[in-house]
Amino acid sequence: MNDRVQSPGERVTRTNPLAHVFDELSRFCRSRSLFILHYCTGCGAIELPPAMTSRFDMERLGIQPMVTPRQADILLVTGYVSVKTLKRILLTYEQMAAPKYVIGICSCTVNGGMYWQSYATAKVLKAYLPVDLYIAGCMPRPEAVITGMRALMDDIAAGRAESWKRYYTHYDHYLGNQQALFGENWQTPTDVLAEARHYGLLGERSEGEHTALLERHQQPLEPLTMRLRAPAGGEEKA
Amino acid sequence: MSAFDLLLGLAAVGVAYAWVFGRHARCGWIITLVYAIQFGVLLSMGGLAYSGRTPVAASFGFQFLGQSLHWRLDAVGWFFALITLGVALLASGFMAGEWGRTWRARGGSLRGLHLALALNVFAMLVLLASGDLLSLFIGWELVSWASYLLMALDGVRARDAALRYLTYALAGAMAILAGIVLLWVEGGDLAFDAVARLLPGLPDGRLWLLVLLFASGFGIKMGLLPFHLWQPKAYALTPGPGAAFLGAISSRMGLFALLVVVIRLFGLDRLAGLSVPFGLFSARDLLAWVGVLTIVLPTFTALRQQDARRLLAWHGVGQTGYMLLGVAVGSDLASAGGLMHVFNHASYQALLFLVVAGILHRTGTTDLNRLGGLVARMPLSFFLMLVGIIGLAGLPPMNGFVSKWMIYRALIDAGSPLLFIGAVIGTLGTILSVYKLLHNCFLGQLRLEHQDIEELRWTQLVPMLLLAGVVFVTGWFPGLVLDWVGAAQAALGLPVLAHTLGGVARAHGGLDMIWLVGVLLGGFGVGALVFLLGGRARRVHPLDNYAGGHFLDSHTRYQYSDDFYAGLMHRIGPWYRGLFQRGEEALVAWVDLLSLAMQGLYRQARPALWLVAALVVSLSWVLGAA
Repeated sequence: MNDRVQSPGERVTRTNPLAHVFDELSRFCRSRSLFILHYCTGCGAIELPPAMTSRFDMERLGIQPMVTPRQADILLVTGYVSVKTLKRILLTYEQMAAPKYVIGICSCTVNGGMYWQSYATAKVLKAYLPVDLYIAGCMPRPEAVITGMRALMDDIAAGRAESWKRYYTHYDHYLGNQQALFGENWQTPTDVLAEARHYGLLGERSEGEHTALLERHQQPLEPLTMRLRAPAGGEEKA
Repeated sequence: MSAFDLLLGLAAVGVAYAWVFGRHARCGWIITLVYAIQFGVLLSMGGLAYSGRTPVAASFGFQFLGQSLHWRLDAVGWFFALITLGVALLASGFMAGEWGRTWRARGGSLRGLHLALALNVFAMLVLLASGDLLSLFIGWELVSWASYLLMALDGVRARDAALRYLTYALAGAMAILAGIVLLWVEGGDLAFDAVARLLPGLPDGRLWLLVLLFASGFGIKMGLLPFHLWQPKAYALTPGPGAAFLGAISSRMGLFALLVVVIRLFGLDRLAGLSVPFGLFSARDLLAWVGVLTIVLPTFTALRQQDARRLLAWHGVGQTGYMLLGVAVGSDLASAGGLMHVFNHASYQALLFLVVAGILHRTGTTDLNRLGGLVARMPLSFFLMLVGIIGLAGLPPMNGFVSKWMIYRALIDAGSPLLFIGAVIGTLGTILSVYKLLHNCFLGQLRLEHQDIEELRWTQLVPMLLLAGVVFVTGWFPGLVLDWVGAAQAALGLPVLAHTLGGVARAHGGLDMIWLVGVLLGGFGVGALVFLLGGRARRVHPLDNYAGGHFLDSHTRYQYSDDFYAGLMHRIGPWYRGLFQRGEEALVAWVDLLSLAMQGLYRQARPALWLVAALVVSLSWVLGAA
């Protein structure tokens, strides 16, 4: 099943003369319909209610909150990221379907901000997952948030917001940083390399020593299948 | 020997066989075969349902106190007998295989179950064929006691519930007997046509008394408000296939008797003429409003139940209200809807009770807070329950929609907005609670203790699949059932509904289910095409799930089904007062007190003296009256 997400950067021979028109159209539509995952960290979250509700009204730009990562497009990281929180952010990020965008709001996500001395805080967010856009400030006002959103929309429409692909092409690098922080037993339920293969993004820097380490520790979750008969072991027990 | 003799004889053979060979391993299949033959005999009388054939009379009958008792099966009785035998056949098939073996291994009496079911079928056939009020009363008593046998099979709690039923049933039978005696005193003849000639001439007060006696007597069996309390507990505690049979058809015997006596003999016009102050409220309004209250209150009680069997049993009470409402409104559309709902309700209620029996069989519980996620292990059962609840909620394409649509439409035509709103509120409650049923049993998180359970066996699935087929096919082609319903309407003296195969053709908005279901399936087809050709679906493990970023493992409960509809209950919870329950308790307390007082009186003083005093008083009363 070849349903790769196309972009102008890829050198794929395309026979349809209107292919670029369709690409343009789909990118335009995508940029006008963005769902933000309801997941916030730190203090920057307090700036989102005014940005979403009637005064600043993000919805006029087609931006809405969404409750599950499977349907969401944007992951907002709205403040300092403790080590424990970063695990949750990565789990959630990997559960989102591509194309997906990450926005770091507040200075803490850029360099740790006022927590730069803390032992429990991950200082540089973009070392652990690709970030499309930072909105700096402590905290940024709703105008700044909306300006950042507009910038992201322009990037998407122009085909520049492609950082999600970097997670697949440079997975070994990100995983290495994650392992350095969380220990070598670190794993999430998502099989990132299989997804990279699915999107055709498995490159030479996707795999490496860190993914090899992961494979040694990984305990995969098998999908729950529908079945009519219990396995032999179950019958013996009954 | 008429076909009805044969039918009753076969039912008696079934009873005798279950009595003698009930412990034999293959007994279940042979009894199922006997039911199948009975069903065939009944179908061979199928002409009854069409074109006003004469009823099939029994060749026996006898005289008692100058009354001639006789039995004959007319179109109404045939319609109810069809449902009775169909459900008995499938329920018997369900318990003949693995279910019965397990039930016996757990200490249940399979012989008792088969025998009680066969007795119920026999008693119902006797009742459905009654030709006068006295034979009706005999059949009525037989049915009451046969139901008691079926209810009392499963342990002490079931026996308590069955005794409670019996108390109600005896009170109802006394009311009916009082009505019959009154009619006998008035006219001296208990044949149906003689009573029908007698009734219009009676004064209003006497008629009111008769209507109240008969309606409350029959209403107790139907579970009409305020006599419904016995039903949910008794049906919920009956073993699975028995509950399917009772829930599907047993309490419909009350409706049958109500139709035959109150609707046919009294006549809806006479009931509408019986009115209290200034003609504002007639006996017919009383029936309709009792119907609506029976829809709304038990349905919202079902919403609060935590046990799947209780939830279904409460719905059984609630759906009876639709039938009574339709018949009480009495136009061609409304009464057809009410009668058709008897058939429809039997089909999906039996299906749902059997699915829940299957869940109980596999998991050992029907507690809605201890189930969940079973769709991964029992996918066919999930599908069957889905069909059943769509029918129960009255949504297309299943048959429950057709009968409910007819009742709604008739209420609008009759200009009764309040009754209409009541019926719709009842449907809202039904939709909410059946969603709870499906969700808590089959959707959500599969529990650790249910990881290794299996789908039901084919002996259990086939009866359920047949019922699901009936639910769907009679929803797609309701004309099949409306033929029988029309014949029953004619036999009851109600206006007959002109119908088509797809439903009702009317100048101003009819119903054509063939088109409606076709369009619906077409829509599903488009969705299925997009799903299948899109190829975007991906299976993930249930634990690869979003819980606010939490890492889930198999010991984490990430999905809760307890306290379902907490928000709704926050609003309407205080409205549940348990008024009927407390009323019943008060009554019981008073009777207790009274009997205690009598007992004390009798025991402490000299009994001989009291006997003599009572004798003297009664003798002087009798002599004085003479």
